[in-house]
This record gives sequence, structure tokens and C-alpha cells, in this order.
Amino acid sequence: MAALLGSSLRLLLRDWRGGELGVLFSALILAVSLVVGISGFVNRLQINLERESSRFLAADLVVSTADRTPESFIARAAESGLARGETVTFSSMVVSESDEMFLASVKAVGGAYPLRGSLEIEDTNGQLTANQPNPGEVLLADRLVQQLNVLPGQRVWVGDAELVYAGKVISEPDGTSGFFGYGPRLMMHTADIEATGVIQPGSRVTFRLLISGSPDQVSEFADWVRPQLVQGQRLLTVEESQPGIGATLDRARGFLLLAGSLGVMLAAAAILVAARRFGERHTDHVAVMKSLGATSTTIRNLYAASLGWLGIAAILIGSVLGWLAQSAMFIALAEQLPGEINEIGVSPYITGAVTALVCIGFFAWPPLARLGLVSPLRVLRRETTIAGSQRALDLVLGTLSLAGLMIWYSKDVFLTSALMGGIAVTVGLGFLGARALLSSSRQLGSRAGSVWRLALAGMQRRGVNSAFQIVIFGVAIMLLLVLVSVRTSLLDQWRLQLPEGTPNHYLLNVAPQEADLINDFFTDKNVEVGRLYPSTRGRVMAVNETPLPTWEIGQEGPRQQEANFTSGAVMPEGNVVLDGEWWQPGTTESIVSLEEGFAQEIGAEVDDVLTLRIAANEFEARVANIREVDWESMQPNFFVIFPTEVLSRYPGMLLTSFYLEPGQKPVIGDLIDDFPTLTVIELDVVIDEIRAIVDQVSQAIELVLMIIMVAGALVLIAGVTASVDERLHESAILRALGARRGRILGAIAIEFSMMGAIAGLLAVVGAELSGWLLQTQMLELDYQPGWILWPFGLVLGALVIGGLGTYTCRRVVSVPPIQVLREV
Amino acid sequence: MITTSQLTKRVSTADGDLEILRGIALEIKRGETAAIVGASGSGKSTLLGLLAGLDVSTEGDVVIDGTSLASLDEDERALLRADKIGFVFQSFQLLPALTALENVMLPLELSGASDSDQRARDFLDRVGLSERRDHYPRTLSGGEQQRVAIARAFASEPLILFADEPTGNLDTATGAKIIDLLFALNTEQGTTLVLVTHDMSLAARCGRQLVMQAGELEEAS
Repeated sequence: MAALLGSSLRLLLRDWRGGELGVLFSALILAVSLVVGISGFVNRLQINLERESSRFLAADLVVSTADRTPESFIARAAESGLARGETVTFSSMVVSESDEMFLASVKAVGGAYPLRGSLEIEDTNGQLTANQPNPGEVLLADRLVQQLNVLPGQRVWVGDAELVYAGKVISEPDGTSGFFGYGPRLMMHTADIEATGVIQPGSRVTFRLLISGSPDQVSEFADWVRPQLVQGQRLLTVEESQPGIGATLDRARGFLLLAGSLGVMLAAAAILVAARRFGERHTDHVAVMKSLGATSTTIRNLYAASLGWLGIAAILIGSVLGWLAQSAMFIALAEQLPGEINEIGVSPYITGAVTALVCIGFFAWPPLARLGLVSPLRVLRRETTIAGSQRALDLVLGTLSLAGLMIWYSKDVFLTSALMGGIAVTVGLGFLGARALLSSSRQLGSRAGSVWRLALAGMQRRGVNSAFQIVIFGVAIMLLLVLVSVRTSLLDQWRLQLPEGTPNHYLLNVAPQEADLINDFFTDKNVEVGRLYPSTRGRVMAVNETPLPTWEIGQEGPRQQEANFTSGAVMPEGNVVLDGEWWQPGTTESIVSLEEGFAQEIGAEVDDVLTLRIAANEFEARVANIREVDWESMQPNFFVIFPTEVLSRYPGMLLTSFYLEPGQKPVIGDLIDDFPTLTVIELDVVIDEIRAIVDQVSQAIELVLMIIMVAGALVLIAGVTASVDERLHESAILRALGARRGRILGAIAIEFSMMGAIAGLLAVVGAELSGWLLQTQMLELDYQPGWILWPFGLVLGALVIGGLGTYTCRRVVSVPPIQVLREV
Repeated sequence: MITTSQLTKRVSTADGDLEILRGIALEIKRGETAAIVGASGSGKSTLLGLLAGLDVSTEGDVVIDGTSLASLDEDERALLRADKIGFVFQSFQLLPALTALENVMLPLELSGASDSDQRARDFLDRVGLSERRDHYPRTLSGGEQQRVAIARAFASEPLILFADEPTGNLDTATGAKIIDLLFALNTEQGTTLVLVTHDMSLAARCGRQLVMQAGELEEAS
């Protein structure tokens, strides 16, 4: 064993000295560093962005309960070493010393609240702080201070509790999560909750346990708590509480994982090409060793051990390079990235090492394992070849292992299948097409000029190898095209999601008689205001006369639902009818349109008859259609819509949305002064946040794309280099026979350009298939066939491969022929 | 030392089976030197491949030092070669990534010799290349490369040495020196030598001359 390790190390060092290992070793290092770099970067970026967006929850994770948070949850969080905070929210009438009363949205905070993001408080001296209220104190929103007419140090009553006004709430990180709490904010300490006496059985109170910690700890806690949740208890994550941010993050993660998976595939392709070349170059060596008495077992052990050494070295060097690469990416992005940068962790290194092992085992080893089968007779007859029966099996095993690796890496079977589908089409069509074209090109070539004849004859003579090269080029170009096109769609989609002027404020509780006044107010202030939607709180009581159980009774299946009802003659923009039909304007028929998720919750379908209640009025309406709503649009969206004439029979309020420029913020103060009963919801922070995240992720994506491009280029170089030896020999003979260098280089350029053109065309076909699957199914983006890609792929393939091939092979006409001929 | 009986080799071609060797019977005794001569394509190299166990016959058998090659599989034949057989090839067959010294050490390492380094140095001395020990094949002349190959062949002290056109790639003067070296070492070690050539003067230096013609072997008169 020790002797084997020693001699394999000697073999390796000798090969290294002889320059035999360069490409294979670089490809392995590339694979490891790519995986470590990208997965490290993706992990860190994801954690960083989640942390940043988690300030909307004021935590990494929230357990929301309708009753007091179970002690067991708190104990478990404490045990796991997680940071904890709590909030209790409810609506309550608040009374001041001057006997003013107002309905406030009360939030009691305790523990380490807020765990993420920060509070902005103005104390009674006008100083800005970030401190939560002390027991016995209240902090009030500016509006509430005005309504209650309260001065610093005066008393305020919340239920039975007497508290002291100690400052103003300017902003709170989780102010927009679950924003349908009406009334201005009153913030107090949880220690005073008991004294209020407000919390009684049946009162509408929300208790929240806020959790933060390392991603592993948090997800472990989430996994523990999830199965124990009962009716009225929910787990809130950033994704759920802010669908806009959640979807943006999801897509970004999807894209980066896609990029990482492509990186692995490209690296595997590079290793395959390099190992094949290594194997071919070693065939003669092995024949000599066998003639000198080496058995196939000796040969196999020797190469296996060499590969082992190579793998260990590649894992070590690749890990270091990967670490450096992702650090460089983070340094480049440092200004855009919020918050502190977390550690990379061990998982990227493990991923990198496993990738190296899979690549070695399934891509590098098969060509070397076959060296054991080399016939020693080759020392007498060079044309003796290796029995090649195993190649198809190698390819199948390699593909399966790669699919397994990708599933493990991206945890996404669909992504893997979509890419594998595209690759299978490229490879399948590639081999068929390449062979057919190669055979017909020979006939063409015999009628063409001598440079062309030389080129086509070269391509044909290398038959299987040419087809293999075309397929490798095709796969590399395909993967790059997929990535570029997905990235372009993704960035376009993001730009469209939040165009300039997206409404960033909602206005609720507008009385119908105030509508004209409010319109005038905004016209005065030069602010464009959106459509006024009727908004009436209502409840679905029964479907087809079968009463629905209430929430409190609680059981699986359909139950009563409360929602804001609206009405309109036309369907809101961005909605799509999934079933049934939208109504004619002016209809007086008692019909209703439902959002698809809402319809599912109450168990209703088109043509079912609903029993609805608004205040004390009960009435029936037939379901006319079911809609899909774009929840990411930031436009007012409704679960339940009636024809205008139907809802106008019942009392209700209006709501609308408007866009304020950053400098127009004081408009809100004026609005509240003029219309004190209005509720304004400020979404500008959320929208700015989404924009910031999109910007950061876009930059990260461009960066990752560049790295993958480099990887792709390396595959192409490896592919081109693979045939240099053979060309060197050919060129030497041709030049010895008097061929001019221009003619030989011309033939090489034509040969590579033709292979590149075929590969480019194949790549476009595979990329269209993968791109369509990925964009429509995984990233939920609109897909448009890139017809422009077809001629582009062909020309680009010809230019890039032609140029790269000619450049790499320029040596074959500069090395003196005698040197080449003497070596062989 | 080497005995063959009814040794036949057929290969399949597009035009049907082609018989390259036709029932060859041959006996070469220990320490003998034998030259196989014949025109190109007469089957000389095929016969050499079979005798050295590099290839398998279609019919018949080769017995080397009492061991029937037909009863051995590829790996067992390799072990037999490591133990008893050395080669000198027309195209030298040195490994380009290894230095002269490492090339000579290779068969010694493969057979697990503990003093491979010292023995390789000794043999390079004896072929007059101690100064060139650390040179790679591409920096050596053809004659020097063949001397390295001869050192490699004799370093493992084989019972039988097969030489395939050993002077085929060398000029006359260099070829003559190489042959002198080959025979000197052969005499010194008492090796059985089987030499394939179409050079009649070289063949004349061997104790026996065998003529290969159309797949059949005859003793030259």
C-alpha cells in the first residue's frame, strides 16, 4: 500500500513535470473553487438579504398566536440560545388627561424587541433614540398626540392602566407587517399589559414571539415548532409577511442556484474533456508499462491513487481559491450590502469536496480506468485501440451522478430536470446532427477548394472526436445562453414589478361624502391619486345554504371568512379570470367575483350561491367568476368584488392609493390634519427596500454570470486544446510536404468555425427548451422564444469557437516540423 | 526456452479472414541468439508480439521457460514479462515525461525491486550515459535514446530479450554501435535474444537466422 502511494505520487509528479496534468488539474480546481465560491457567496448573500429584509418582521422568525405564547415555545427558544422578544397588539380606546378619547392601535413590546431593524423614537426633549418604552410609559404616534392633545409627562389611560406619555414613535421596523390594524400607534411595555385588563377571553389580541439567531438555529426552531401549531397559531417568515420581498428573494435564490448548478456542469464538462485527453496521452505510456510487465490491476491502482492525490490537492487549492473568490465578490458588493457580513460556514467546502469526488469518480476516472485495458501490443502496432464498449455506460452513469449532484446542490428536482432535458436534447441532436453533417460535408469538401477540403477532411477524420467536441461546445454555449436569457427576463420582470410611480401609500377609511374633498386636496398638492375603491368589511356565512363554521370553533376545511368587499364595473388591472366570466357594466344581478385562494378557503366554485353579511344585513350572491391576483403589484387588491350596483345598497367606506415623491412626505401630515379619521398606510419603506434588494441581487447576478462565463470559456479552451496534439502532428507533416502556414491555419479556422456554428445552433435548441421550462415553471416569468438567438447562436458559435480554436492551435504552425516529427 | 507449436494468427478484415501466421513451429534454446528476417508485412512483428505474450494466437501455443502462454490471462502474461522478458523497440518507446534514469528504473519499480535507483544508475553507466541521467528523451539523440532503451531492457536482467528492428530509426554508424552494445550485454548476461530485422548483416551476427515468408517460417540455410 505504502509502495503504491509512493509510486503513484512519483507518477503524478513526473506527469506534472511533463505538463501532462495541467488541464485536468485546473479543471478539477475550477470545479471545486466554482462550487465553493458560488455556494459560499449564495449562502452568505441569502443570509445577508434575509437578515436585511427580516427587519420587516423585527425578527428572523415570528410565532403569532391568538392566545398567550405557549411557555414551551419560549423555553425551547431559550434552550436553543435564540434571542427573543415579544409583542402584543390589539385595538383599544385611549383616554388623555384632557378627556380626549381615540381608538389606537396598541402594541406592547418586551424582551429584546426589536431583534432586527431599529426603533426610531423621539423622546420628550426632542432627542432621537432607539429605546423601547419603559414599564409605566407610553410612546405615541404623532397623530395620536394631536388627537389626544397630550403633553410630555401627562397621563394616558389604556383600559385600566395609567401610563405616562414619554415620547413619539417615529418609525418601527415591523410597522407594515399585518398592516390592517386601524388607528394610530400607541407603544407600551408588555409588563403593563396585565394592568390594562383589556385582555379577556374572546378579545381580539395578537401575541407574537420574536426569534432571531443563526440561520441553522432559527430553522431548527421553526422545524420544531411547526408541527405543534394549533388553530390560531402561525409561523411568520419574511417571505410570508412581505410577499413582494419574498418573491424577489425566491427568484434571486433560484437564479443563483441555477448559476451554481451550471457552474458544476461546466466544470464536469471540462473535467471530462481533460480526462479524456489525459487518458489518450497516456495510452502509449501504459502500453509500454504493460510490455514491461505491469498488470492491468497495477495500472488501475496506480492511476486511481494518482487521481486520489490529484483530488486532495484540487480540493485544498480549490477551497482556498473559492474562498478568495467569494470574499472578492463580497468586497466588490460591500457598499451595496447592508449589515455585517456573516461567516461562510463549512457547508460550501463540503459541497466543493463532494463535487470534486463525484467529478473524479464519474468523469475523470472512466477514461483512466480504461487505461487498464490498453493492449501491450500497441508498442508494436500503434493503431491497436482500446475496446470502447464501456463509453455509453460511462456517459449514462456520469449524467446520473451529475443529476444527483445538482439535486443535492440546488435541492430542486425541477431545475435539474429542466437543465438535463436541455442537455439531453443538445447531446442527442448533437451526436446525430454532427455525424450526419460530417458525412455530408466530406462530399461537399471534395468539390471545394483545397483549404476547405483540408478542413472538412480533418473534421471527418476525427469523426467521433469532432462530434464529441461539438457536443461539449454545444452544451457549454447552451448553459451560458440559458443563464443569460434567464437573467435578462429576471431583471426585466423586476423592473416591471415596481415601475416608477408605483403607489407607495394607501388611504383607508375614506367616507363617501369625503371623496370629492379628498380628490380636491390631492389636486391642490399636485399629487396623483388612484382610483377610489369602495371598501366594506363583510363576512361570508354560507355556501349553497350550508353554513360555514366560524374561526373560533376551528376545524380543518372551509370556514367563515371576513374580508374587505369592493365593487366595480371593470376588473382591476393585473387580475386574470380563471373560471367563469366578468360581468357587463351596469348589471344589477346579485353576483360576486372571488380571488382563487379565498374561494378555496370557503370551498366555493363558480355558480355556487354565497350567503354574505355586511353589518346586520344578510344577502345572497352567485359566484360569477374566480380571479387570480398579482399580490406583488403593490396595487390595492381585493378578495371579493361585486358589481357597483350591488354593493352600493350597503353602507361602506372607500380606499385608494397614491404615490408620493420622497420630498412630499409632509403632505401626509396635512392630510391627517384636514381629515383626522383617515388611516394612512406607508409602504414607501417596503418599496424602497424591495428596490434596494433588487439592485443588490442584480449586481450579484451580473457578477456570478461573469464567473460562469469564465468557466464556460475554460471548457471551450479545454475542448479546443484536446485536439492540439493530433493537429500538431498533422501540421508538421503538411508543412514538411510544403504547405504554407496560412493554408494550415485557414483550414483549422474553417474546421473550428464549422464546429462552432453547429454547436451554436444545437445550443440554441437546448437553451430554448431549458429556458422555456425554467422561466415558465420555476421562476414564473413570462417566456418569449428568442428567435434572434438562432442566427446569433450560429454566428457567435462560429466566431468564438473559430477564434478560440485558431488562437489555441497557432502553436501548431510555429513549432518546427522536425521537432514534432522527432518526438513521435 | 521458447517453443511454439502450430502457432496461427488470423484477423478479420473487410474482405474476410486474413491468415498472418500459418502453423509456425519453432524452438529457441537458452542463450541462443536468433534473427527473424523477412519483407515488410511478412508477419515478423506479429510473431514477435505472440512470442513475447503481447498478443494472443488464434491457434497453437507459445511455451516460455516451461510456461504455456495459452493458459495465462493478460495479467499473468504481464507478470511473466516483468519476470523474464525485456524489449528493445524500433521507436525506442521511452516515456517522454520521465528522465533517462526514471525510464530505466520503471521496469525495476514495476517488479518491486528495492535497489531500482542504484541498478538503473549502473546500467546507464554501462551504456555510457551517466552524464545524461537527468535528461528527458526529447533532449537525447536517437542513438542515446536507444541506449537508454537497452539499459532499461537489461536492467531487470531478463531471460529473454526481444528486439524489434533496433536499428531501424538510426543511421548506419550509430546503428552499428548500438548493435555492438546489445550483443556485448547479451553475451555478458547470457540472455536469449530474439531479434526482428530486415538487415541481413545484422541478422548474420545471430547464431540462427529464420526467414519469414507469407506467414511461414523457415530456417535459413
